[in-house]
Amino acid sequence: MAKVLLSLENLTMKFGGVTALNEVNLEIREGEILALIGPNGAGKTTVFNVITGVYQATSGSINFNGQKIGGKKRFQITGLGIARTFQNIRLFGDMTTLENVITATDVHKKSGLVSSLFGTPRARREEREHRAKAHEILQFIGIDEYSDRLARNLPYGVQRRLEIARALGTSPKLLLLDEPAAGFNPQEKVELAATIKKVRDAGYTVLLIEHDMSLIMGISDRVVVLDFGTKIADGSPADVQNDPRVIEAYLGVPADAS
Amino acid sequence: MKIRNYWNLRDWGAGIWERSGRPARVLIALTTIFLVSLLPFAGASFLATPIAAYDAVLVYPVAVFVLMALGLNIVVGKSGMLDLGYVAFFAIGAYTMAIMGTTTSLNTWEIMPFGIAFAMIAGVILGLPTLRLRGDYLAIVTLGFGEIVRLVLLNSSWSKGPNGIANVPMPPDIGPLKFKLDDQKVFFWVVLIMILLTIWMIRRLSVRRPGRAWEAIRQDEDAAELMGVATLKYKIWSFTLGAAIGGAAGVLYASKNLFIAPEMFTLNVSILILACVVFGGIGNIWGVIVGAVILGYLPDRIRFISDARLLVFGLVLVIVMNFRPDGLLPRKKREKAIVKKGAI
Repeated sequence: MAKVLLSLENLTMKFGGVTALNEVNLEIREGEILALIGPNGAGKTTVFNVITGVYQATSGSINFNGQKIGGKKRFQITGLGIARTFQNIRLFGDMTTLENVITATDVHKKSGLVSSLFGTPRARREEREHRAKAHEILQFIGIDEYSDRLARNLPYGVQRRLEIARALGTSPKLLLLDEPAAGFNPQEKVELAATIKKVRDAGYTVLLIEHDMSLIMGISDRVVVLDFGTKIADGSPADVQNDPRVIEAYLGVPADAS
Repeated sequence: MKIRNYWNLRDWGAGIWERSGRPARVLIALTTIFLVSLLPFAGASFLATPIAAYDAVLVYPVAVFVLMALGLNIVVGKSGMLDLGYVAFFAIGAYTMAIMGTTTSLNTWEIMPFGIAFAMIAGVILGLPTLRLRGDYLAIVTLGFGEIVRLVLLNSSWSKGPNGIANVPMPPDIGPLKFKLDDQKVFFWVVLIMILLTIWMIRRLSVRRPGRAWEAIRQDEDAAELMGVATLKYKIWSFTLGAAIGGAAGVLYASKNLFIAPEMFTLNVSILILACVVFGGIGNIWGVIVGAVILGYLPDRIRFISDARLLVFGLVLVIVMNFRPDGLLPRKKREKAIVKKGAI
């Protein structure tokens, strides 16, 4: 079995009196597509926010690639190899598509402000390399033709894809996708599923939040279900689909059964 | 709209620049610099300022305002942090020059690095705790900082309190170029050189990592940090570079004015420099320069109408901001990469 890349141990996140996550345990193995599902308010995005350092967990620990990442700064976590997209698109609208990606690749640059100012050979070389790399990523995601367009003028679907491209720009080991198919029509969803598979096959590990069941059942290796901040199921898509607790969480219990 | 395009000077200028090859660009740049450096000789033309000496007006306020507006633009325009206490760095530079100039035998050029360094240190000291704040909160803290610096200068014995410091030495002559009170051409050229250096610096940084980091921070600070931008570090850099330019302007100002006092460094200066940035076009260095030239020059040009001049000045501000809310030459919104063409 592949190595565990990220593990959440007894992760609890409380906002005042509200428990958003309650003792959640979760493991993601290298090279898998893990889907995180659950009804609205189940705590899916909170999991993302805790992993990426937006929130500090109330208790529990997060291990990534053999390191504890709780308490690290957000950009440091990104530097270690966790990148995410946003449920509500948050691109840098006044930048071009290419610049959006290069801004993300900059995290692995060695040259900083002073060498940029004086144009040292290393700074110039890095700038060239990162430009080429950004184009490569845009080609990989299939939106390189938009590279000189301002991000906010892009069609909606391209913006969603650029979110993924920008996250890949940070050279992550683990890619967190927060509802990447939101607002897509069925055809676009099929294309997105292919892209996510392609990303996984290129060596990235994917943790995916999604509501579209056919998309999830089609691409994920494993599904974890959250309900009211508690993990209620963890297994293959087929198992999870037939789990009575999952059905209960989504559809409720029949009146005569309770 | 056709009429609007016709008046779009920014894109018109950028278009010419883009269509030119490298030799043409060098030619355009050198010609512009040459023509601007001839400005002090145009005192007899329609440009002349009544009452105030024309060549002195060109140095302060015009050129010094341009320099400070460029510095403030790094903070406000590039990285989107509202700094209402920019005058503090100007004051620190000026007092460094005044105190070191009157108590040591160092000349202006030797004091300049100290003035810049002290302003930068002040920038870091102010920045480290406060740059975690955003928007209005940052504006309030910087506003307070500007006032604190002025009040300290007003109430300390080492700064000679409200009396100010007199007999600040002029810069030593550079070969045949002499610094004189009644002929300030050389001062103008010195400030011009500093403006050119600042433009070079900003343009360099804008197309590389720091410029992208600032741009990302301005647009969405949280997203920027999650994409790996060390936001606090780049915000402090932005603040410190702005402070350095303010400090340099202060050193030159003290050395030109020969006398400085705390009342020269009030909140009004901060606001006026911010007005230059916003009036010209926040985030666009050419707009900022145009804004600073107009707002620096106009009050002296219309000095003959005495008391009404501030009214006219205010009217011009209101009218222009009404018709061009993004400033005279707004930040570019064209679809072209800030990344340099041809991979540098």
